[in-house]
Amino acid sequence: MPIDCKAKCGNRATLKRPKTGDALCKDCFFAAFEAEIHHTITSSNLFRRGEKVAVAASGGKDSTVLAHVLKLLNERHDYGLDLVLLSIDEGITGYRDDSLETVKQNRDDYKMPLKILSYEELYGWTMDRIVAQIGRSNNCTFCGVFRRQALDRGAKLLGVDSIATGHNADDIAETVLMNILRGDTARLRRCTDIRTGGSEDSIARVKPLKYSYEKEIVMYAHYKKLVYFSTECVFAPNAYRGHARAFLKDLEKVRPSVIMDIIYSGEQLRFKDTVKKPVRGICERCGFVSSQQPCKACVLLEGLNRGLPKLGIGKKSKGDRMIAKQNQELALRERANLVKNDF
Amino acid sequence: MCSIGEDDFGDDGATHAMPPGSFPMGTVISSSGSCNKCGINSNALYKLNFRAAECQDCFLNYARHKFRAALGAAKALPRNAEVLLLIDGSAESLVLLDMLHFAQTQNTFKRLHCNARVLYVDVRSSSDPLPSLLALQTRYAPFQFNIVQLGAAPTNVCLLENYNVINNNGEQKPLRTLTARQDYEQQQRKALIGAVAAQMQCSHVFEPSISTTLATQLLTSVALGRGGSVALDVALLDDRLPNGIKLLRPLKDLNEQEVQFYVHAQKLQPFAKVDQELSSHASLQNLTRAFVANLQENYASTVSTVFRTGDKMAINQQASGEIHSTCQLCQSVLDSELSDTLLAIEYSRTVSEMGAALQHNQENVATLEQCARQRLTSTDNLCHACRNIKAELSSGSLM
Repeated sequence: MPIDCKAKCGNRATLKRPKTGDALCKDCFFAAFEAEIHHTITSSNLFRRGEKVAVAASGGKDSTVLAHVLKLLNERHDYGLDLVLLSIDEGITGYRDDSLETVKQNRDDYKMPLKILSYEELYGWTMDRIVAQIGRSNNCTFCGVFRRQALDRGAKLLGVDSIATGHNADDIAETVLMNILRGDTARLRRCTDIRTGGSEDSIARVKPLKYSYEKEIVMYAHYKKLVYFSTECVFAPNAYRGHARAFLKDLEKVRPSVIMDIIYSGEQLRFKDTVKKPVRGICERCGFVSSQQPCKACVLLEGLNRGLPKLGIGKKSKGDRMIAKQNQELALRERANLVKNDF
Repeated sequence: MCSIGEDDFGDDGATHAMPPGSFPMGTVISSSGSCNKCGINSNALYKLNFRAAECQDCFLNYARHKFRAALGAAKALPRNAEVLLLIDGSAESLVLLDMLHFAQTQNTFKRLHCNARVLYVDVRSSSDPLPSLLALQTRYAPFQFNIVQLGAAPTNVCLLENYNVINNNGEQKPLRTLTARQDYEQQQRKALIGAVAAQMQCSHVFEPSISTTLATQLLTSVALGRGGSVALDVALLDDRLPNGIKLLRPLKDLNEQEVQFYVHAQKLQPFAKVDQELSSHASLQNLTRAFVANLQENYASTVSTVFRTGDKMAINQQASGEIHSTCQLCQSVLDSELSDTLLAIEYSRTVSEMGAALQHNQENVATLEQCARQRLTSTDNLCHACRNIKAELSSGSLM
């Protein structure tokens, strides 16, 4: 039996919203979905009039919908924002090169300027070459750490006030579970924040899709016929996060509201005063935000350049020993005038 | 970007230090040899993960010390306190009973000074627990064994010998999903235990939760939306019971393997399986239990990491501002009014009802938000998670 749209618009419902369980027609769903994001932006004061905002664009569903909706709301509600697309080219053949074509399509469709930064130009390494060195395990560490910094570098280059990322409700709930499983209290404290950074030394990151379900984002992109890229990365995915993701999907099947409940729980968590808090500082080498000295990106890069790719993986003491050993060997050979040493 | 988050990486993440399957559970008790601790030859050696093989006495000392240390270090149990010990037939509950009995039979110097009584909450499962309970009563004399039926009034608590089952199956709340039913039952069970403890004038209740159960409980509570009070769900001391009664979990540092070995060493006979109601996909609780068990098999430090995360948590006291009102059902501090996330859910419901009309008459965000806020502020005195239970009620009231 056909069901009527819950909004009483007279149309037949075409979908059931996973978030509220309401049956809606296409147009009412669009309106509700956009109104929610508008509410998230205004109630959390994510942007200020006149700001320049970079949309972190990968060509995937989340960032495509984010770019589309931000442009639409900016015009509809006159936010007065200057929106630009910012993409990172990790140098993964068969994956990123294809998805960047999608981003270029978005650039033309939404008439937004696009800046692409590559790992090659920033770090002198592509992910293809990194994987050739380190193999399939731990390569996601390099990609993730470099990307975080690459976005900061890109934002600085473009002179933007904030970066909007496409993290959706599912991503955040998953991260809460993940951080509990890893015992990472530092990240548990901040992973549900809708806005991070933003003091004088760092560029703010905002998540306008924080309360949007992944399923609804896919529905929105599908019914709006948005062009997006939906292939998994060709390199092995992170197995441990895969467990958390599969678990969350199972939970969602039993009770769809669990995603919001987990985000809510994550926000309500508090920690004893005795639990150590990391202090945010600036990396002495590269000048970007970090809680360690030197920052993770610098350690990983040093490892690659020294030919010790495992340097930044695992314990710091282990890395220090590796460096000391290599230095000792180099000193020996240098004394014999066998090599010239310049990293 | 890539589908995995950049938050996955960093120095303090422990996953790279977790070799898959490096320490399978249930390392066998080896045949014979000399104990690494006392050096005496023994015909049964106990080899725990991360510990050298030891004889039965040394193992028992080690396990019992964990129990004593949990109570002693926190100074949680005043001298000569009246203690109500919960048993449910599970292996860990029998271990707790055995440990407490042992601690009471020690000489004056080492004795644990408290007056303990035992309580069994009858949930009317298929098998009759009475024969096993009577056998326990004989073995652990002079402990007094009491029994009460779940759903009965606390005044119905009685000695094993005087127990009669009351047929009151009609009492069950009409809750639509198993998730809500299990959550509700857990709260009811706790309320009943609190009331029985008050009735029997016990100031402290011992609950036989071990680290595996607490790790599962932590994740379950998070999934149910109980983040604000989860710290108490897994702490040594939970003071949410009425009349100032304190719930203690003295076995919280024991793991599954230690319990199994203890059961073997003391020849205990557990008589109840953990309730595996329906399949593991039937409720959030069952799913979480299966998830933790499965992950523990592949990543041996899962339970201890999650459990230790719980150890670092504190309750969210700012939640209700100055007025410390508590949830009617679970006695946790009320939290729901101030949350942006809960407001976002209600806002979704509000705009879903408006639909495309939103675009035509350009409803003011403030008006819609007001509408959503009204839905959020109700005077039912329930926390968010208990409201979720209430939403699944098909008729009648929760209390």
